[in-house]
Amino acid sequence: MNFSIGFTDLNASLHDLEDNDLDALMADLVADISATEEKFATERDTFKGSAPVAQIPSQPQSNFNLIASTDTSRPATSSNSIAAPPPPPTSKPSKEELEEQMKADKIKLALEKLKEAKVKKLVVKVEITDGSSKTLMVDERQTVRDVMDNLFEKTHCDCNVDWSVCETNPDLQTERAFEDHENLVEPLSTWTRDTENKVLFQEKKDKYEVFRNPQNFYMWKKDKKSLKDMKDKDKEQLLEENFCGASVIVPDLEGILYLKEDGKKSWRQRYFLLRASGLYYSPKGKTKASRDLVCLVQFDNVNVYYCKEYRIKYKAPTDHCFILKHPQIQKESQYIKYLCCDDVWSMTLWVTGIRIAKYGKQLYDNYKAAVRKAAGSATWANRTIQTSSNASTPSPTPKAKAANGHASHPAVETKGPGNQTSFPPPPPPSMEILPPQPPDPMLPPPLPAPSSTTKVNKFPPPPQFPQSSIPPPPTDDLPPPPPPPEDAEQPPDFLPPPPTSMTSYGGAALPPPPPEPLASLPPPPPAPQNFASAGGAPPPPPPPPPPPAPAPAAYQPTNSVRKVAPSPPQRTTPQLAAPSGGDFMSELMTAMQKKRSQP
Amino acid sequence: MAAWDLSVSVEELGPDAPPLKISVTSDLHIGGVILKVVEKSQIKQDWSDHALWWEQKQQWLLKPSWTLDKCGIHADARLCLTPQHKPLRLLLPSGVTLRLRACFSSPVFRCVTGLCKLLNIRRPEELSLLWPVEEKKKKKDKDVEEELYDITRAPLPSSIIPKLANGMPAFFAETPETEAVYKMLAVSQPAPAPETIAKLYRSTNITEKAHINSRWLDSSRSLLQQGVKENDKLLLRFKYYTFHDISPQADAVRLTQLYEQARWAILLEEIECTEEEMMVFAALQYHIGKVSLTEQFVASCPAMDDLDSALQCLEVKMEGESSADDMLVSSMIYTQPKRLTLKGYKQYWFTFKDTTISYFKSKEESCKEPIQQMNLKGCEVAPDVSVAGQKFCIRLLIPGPEGMNEVYLRCEHEQQYSRWMAACRLASKGKTLADSSFSSEVQSIQSFLAMQKTTPSTNAAQTDESINTHSLVSPRYQKKYKPKQLTPRILEAYQNVAQLSLTDAIQKFLQIWQALPDFGLSYIVVRFKGCRKDEVLGIANNRLIRIDLSVGDVVKTWRYNTMRQWNVNWDIKQVAIEFDGNVNIAFSCVTADCKIVHEYIGGYIFMSTRSREQSNTLNEELFHKLTGGHEAL
Repeated sequence: MNFSIGFTDLNASLHDLEDNDLDALMADLVADISATEEKFATERDTFKGSAPVAQIPSQPQSNFNLIASTDTSRPATSSNSIAAPPPPPTSKPSKEELEEQMKADKIKLALEKLKEAKVKKLVVKVEITDGSSKTLMVDERQTVRDVMDNLFEKTHCDCNVDWSVCETNPDLQTERAFEDHENLVEPLSTWTRDTENKVLFQEKKDKYEVFRNPQNFYMWKKDKKSLKDMKDKDKEQLLEENFCGASVIVPDLEGILYLKEDGKKSWRQRYFLLRASGLYYSPKGKTKASRDLVCLVQFDNVNVYYCKEYRIKYKAPTDHCFILKHPQIQKESQYIKYLCCDDVWSMTLWVTGIRIAKYGKQLYDNYKAAVRKAAGSATWANRTIQTSSNASTPSPTPKAKAANGHASHPAVETKGPGNQTSFPPPPPPSMEILPPQPPDPMLPPPLPAPSSTTKVNKFPPPPQFPQSSIPPPPTDDLPPPPPPPEDAEQPPDFLPPPPTSMTSYGGAALPPPPPEPLASLPPPPPAPQNFASAGGAPPPPPPPPPPPAPAPAAYQPTNSVRKVAPSPPQRTTPQLAAPSGGDFMSELMTAMQKKRSQP
Repeated sequence: MAAWDLSVSVEELGPDAPPLKISVTSDLHIGGVILKVVEKSQIKQDWSDHALWWEQKQQWLLKPSWTLDKCGIHADARLCLTPQHKPLRLLLPSGVTLRLRACFSSPVFRCVTGLCKLLNIRRPEELSLLWPVEEKKKKKDKDVEEELYDITRAPLPSSIIPKLANGMPAFFAETPETEAVYKMLAVSQPAPAPETIAKLYRSTNITEKAHINSRWLDSSRSLLQQGVKENDKLLLRFKYYTFHDISPQADAVRLTQLYEQARWAILLEEIECTEEEMMVFAALQYHIGKVSLTEQFVASCPAMDDLDSALQCLEVKMEGESSADDMLVSSMIYTQPKRLTLKGYKQYWFTFKDTTISYFKSKEESCKEPIQQMNLKGCEVAPDVSVAGQKFCIRLLIPGPEGMNEVYLRCEHEQQYSRWMAACRLASKGKTLADSSFSSEVQSIQSFLAMQKTTPSTNAAQTDESINTHSLVSPRYQKKYKPKQLTPRILEAYQNVAQLSLTDAIQKFLQIWQALPDFGLSYIVVRFKGCRKDEVLGIANNRLIRIDLSVGDVVKTWRYNTMRQWNVNWDIKQVAIEFDGNVNIAFSCVTADCKIVHEYIGGYIFMSTRSREQSNTLNEELFHKLTGGHEAL
C-alpha cells in the first residue's frame, strides 16, 4: 500500500512536507496518544511527578482500557529511534530523562495508533502549473474542495473557481479534474505502486464553464453569436430550469462521434445521443427513436477523462478524444470506451454533458461553493491585506485546515457559531499560560486536554454528530482557550500551531465530511461571501472578528447550501488500516527527527 | 308591467313531466323565479344547490339579483331548474373510476379545484379534465362491468372539508368502505395484467399523441356548457408538467396519482424511453408494488414521522449489532473466462469477509494463504441464472489496474446463491455482510427467483411476491422478451433501487421520468402560416418546439422567456406569437381547438408565476386572465 503519491519513496515524501505539515502530523500522533496519557500516568505513578496525574481528571476516561490493553504488546523495533526525539517547538525548557522516556513511549504509542488508525492518510505531492510542487497530507475524509482550500493557502493564488485538482495518467495519456465533492484519497489509493500518475493543481476553464454560460451547453444547436450576449437573468433562468427541478436536465447532445471498436485499431463513426441514463448510439439504418437506441455505457461506474495525442497513440481521427472507464483501470483495456470528437468544443460539450448526467445537482452545488470561496477570498484580499498575508478565507471545514497545520488568521476568523460567540473573539494568549492547561511538559505541542479525548473513540464517529449541534454547556463560562468539548467528537485532531485557532473553531470544529445533518452549525464561509455570490451586490464590509449577534443570521443562506453538500464518506469498513505499517512507521520517525533537528 | 308565462322544467318532477308554467314580469329577478318554481312544484327538499339553466343559450343563470329583463329572457325561453352539482364518473390516473358529485355550473378550472379538494390533491391547477377516448363498442366488452367506487355522499367541495390529523378528509373515515376508497387513491395500484396493457396500447406516432390533447375540456366554461351530462365519464389528469412544491407528507394522493399517470405513460409508450430506462422503470414498479403491499400508507403526521424514523434507526442499529454472521463460507465452482477459450470450471473453497472474497484449494487449507483475494468494492455484479436449468451463477466484473476481471461463481443451489449474491451486491457498494440491508437483499433475490419459477398465468395481477414481468414493461418489450429473459434484466436494475422506501421509490420513478428527453411535451398538429404541410407544435413548460411531422426532428425551439406576446384570432382560429428580436410566428391548429393551445401557453406562464408567489392561495383570476378566451375578456 502506498502512503505517498508522487514520490519514489516515502522518505522523500516526508522530507518534502512543509514544517507545518510535519508539525501537524506530529500533533496528530500526539493527539492520538495523549489520550492514553492516563494509562502511563498510572503506570508511572510511583516514581513520576504529579503533572500527569493532574491531567487525569480533565480527561474523560471511558473506553480507555481497551486501547491500553492493546498497547501493552508494543514492538521494540522503533524504540531506539524514539529515544531522542528533538524538542518540540513549544515544549518547556526543562527536560529530564524521565520525561524524555515518557515522550518516547508516547510517540511509539502514537505510531502504533496511527498504524491501526481507521483514518487513512496519504502524503501527496501536487504539481503546480509553474513547475513547482507542494506536498501535503490528505486524510481520507477530506474532499477535493478541502484539499484545494489547503492548496490555496499554500500557494497564495487567487481562489478562482477554475482551480482544479487533476490526475494524469501517462500510460493512457489522460487527464481528469476531480470534482470538488469527491474524496481524494480513495481514487489515489487504487493507483498501482509503481504508478507514474500525477496529481496536478491547475486552472481548468472547462470545469465550471457550463454554469457561467449555460446557454452554450443547453442551447448548443443555436448560433453561437446569438448566444454570446445572453442576459445574466436568462442564464440564471436556464440554470434554474435545468439544475433546480425535481431532476437535473441533461443537455440534449447528439451528433456523430468516432468510437474505437472493441479490441480493434479502427475508429467507427456513430450517431451518439446523451441521456440522463447513459450514452447511447443509434445503430445504422435505425431511427433516432429512443426504442432503437443502443446503450454504450451507463455512468454509474465510470468516469470521463480527457485524452492527449490519441492521433499518434491510437490513430484516432483527431486529437480531441475522451474515454470512459472505471477509475481503477490504469492501463489500456477492452473495458475502456474510447471516443473521438471533431473539435475541441464538441469534446467539451460531451465531457461536460456526461459530467452533468453523472453528478447531477452536485456539480451545481460544487460550483456555488467554489464561487462563494472565490468571492470571499477576493473580498478578504482587498480588505485584510494588511492584517493577513495569506488572505484566504477560512476553509469550509476547519478540521481539514487544521490537518495541514494551518491555523487561520484571527482576522479572518469569523466563524464562531452562535453558541460560541460569547467568547471574547480572538484573544491570542499562548496556550502555555492558560489556567486550564496543566503543566505538562510531555506534550510536544501544547495540547489542550479535552482534545485528547478524541482518541477515546476507537471508531471514527458516525456521520451524524448530534452532539455538535448542542451548545456545549460548560464552555460558556470558561475562559477562552481550552477548546470546547465538541472537539471530542473528532478523531485525530491536528493541532494548529497558533493556539487561537482552537478557540475560534469552537463548535464549528467538525470532522471534514462537510455535508449534512449539521444544519444548525453555521458553516464557515463568512457572511460577506454570501452576499457577494447571491446577488453580485457589493459585499458589505467584513464583520470584525466574530460579532456575536448578527453572525447566525448571516450564515443562514449558506446553511441551506451546505446541507446538500457531498455525502459523508462511507466508512462502514475502514478499509486499509495501514497494513504494511511497520517500516513506514520507522521511516516516518527518522524523517521527522531529521526535520526537527534541521533548524 | 305585463305578466307573462315562463316555462321552467324541474328535474325532480321526472323527465316526462311537462314544464311548470309560472307567471312572471320582466322585472322579476332570478331568485324570485326560483322561489316561484319551488312553490309551484310542491316538493319539499333542500333546493340550495339548484340553479336555472337556460337551454337554448346553453348558459347558467347564476346571478339571483338579475332581472329577467337584464338576462334577456322572454316568454320563448325554456329554463330548467337543476342541481349545480351532479354525479360524474371520474377516471383517475390510476385507472380507478370514482362516482362523485362535481360542479356543473362553475368553470372547469374551479370544478377541478373542487374535485381535488375532495380527493385531497394539492395544487389543482396542474390538473384538468378531458374526454375519454371513444371506445369502439364491442359486444363482448359490454359484459365487463367496470368497477365503480361511489362517493357521491361526500359533502360538496364548496363547503369546508374537515380533515383528520393525517390529512385524510374526514368523510372518508366515516365508513370502512370509504376509508378503503381513500386508501386506494393514496396507494398505487397493483401491476396490471399484460393483457390490459396490450388492450389499452395504441401504436403511438406523434399525430396520435397530438390527438390526446384535443380532448381537454375548456377551463373557462362549465361542464354543462360543454355538453357533459350527468353520469358521464371524464378523465382527471395532470395537464401541466410542472409539479410545484411536492411534499411526500402532504401529497400522498397527489404523488400516487402522478406516479400512476407516469407509469401508464411509460407502459403505453406515450413517452418513449430506451430499453435500459424501461428496465429501471420496471424495477421501480416492481419495488413500489411490493412495498405498497407491506408498507402501510403512513399518513402525514410529523410526530409520527419522527417516531418512525427513530424506530427505524433503532431497528437498523439492532440488526447491525445482532447480525452474528459476518462471514460466508462455502464451496463453489469458479471460472475465469479467457478470450475464446473457456477455462474449465474448478471447485474451490470460498470465504467472504467484509467486502472481500478469498478462495482456497479446499476447506482444510482455508487457514492458510488464499490462492487469490478479490475485493469487490466498486465491482459490477450480474446474475446468470436459470431456475429451470438449476444454474445459479454470479458474474463479477472486478475492476483492476489492467481492466476488468471477469469472474464467474457457480453456486449449488438457490439458497447459497441468494446469500452470496446479496453479499456481492452489498460489497460492490462497499457494504459488508453486517449491514442491516443484507437480509432484505437476500429476500428480494429469492423473491425474484420465485418470479422465474411461476409460469405467468393469464390474468395474473400482482398479488404477492409472484408477478409476471410482462406487467412491468410496455408491449414492445413484452413481444421482444420472454418473462424469463426479462427477469434477470429487471433484477439487475432492481439492485440499485431495492432499498428505497415507498415514497423514495415513487419520487425516483418520477425523477427518471422527468429526465426523459421528451418529458413534458404536449403535442398539437398545426399548420404554420405560409406553410403547406402539417407540422407538430410541442408545448413544454419553458418552450415551444416545432417538429417536422414526417421525420420527427425538432426544427426550432422558442423559449417563453423570449416571448413578447401571443394573440389568438378567434375568427380565423389562428395563434400568433411574437418573440424577442422581431420573430413572429403564426399557426392554425389542426388537431385541437386553438383555445387548447392558448390555454396551454397561458397555463404554463401561470404555473411559472407560482414559484415567486409565497402564498398558497390560488390566483384564479390570473389563471383566467392568461388562459381565458374572448369570452373572458
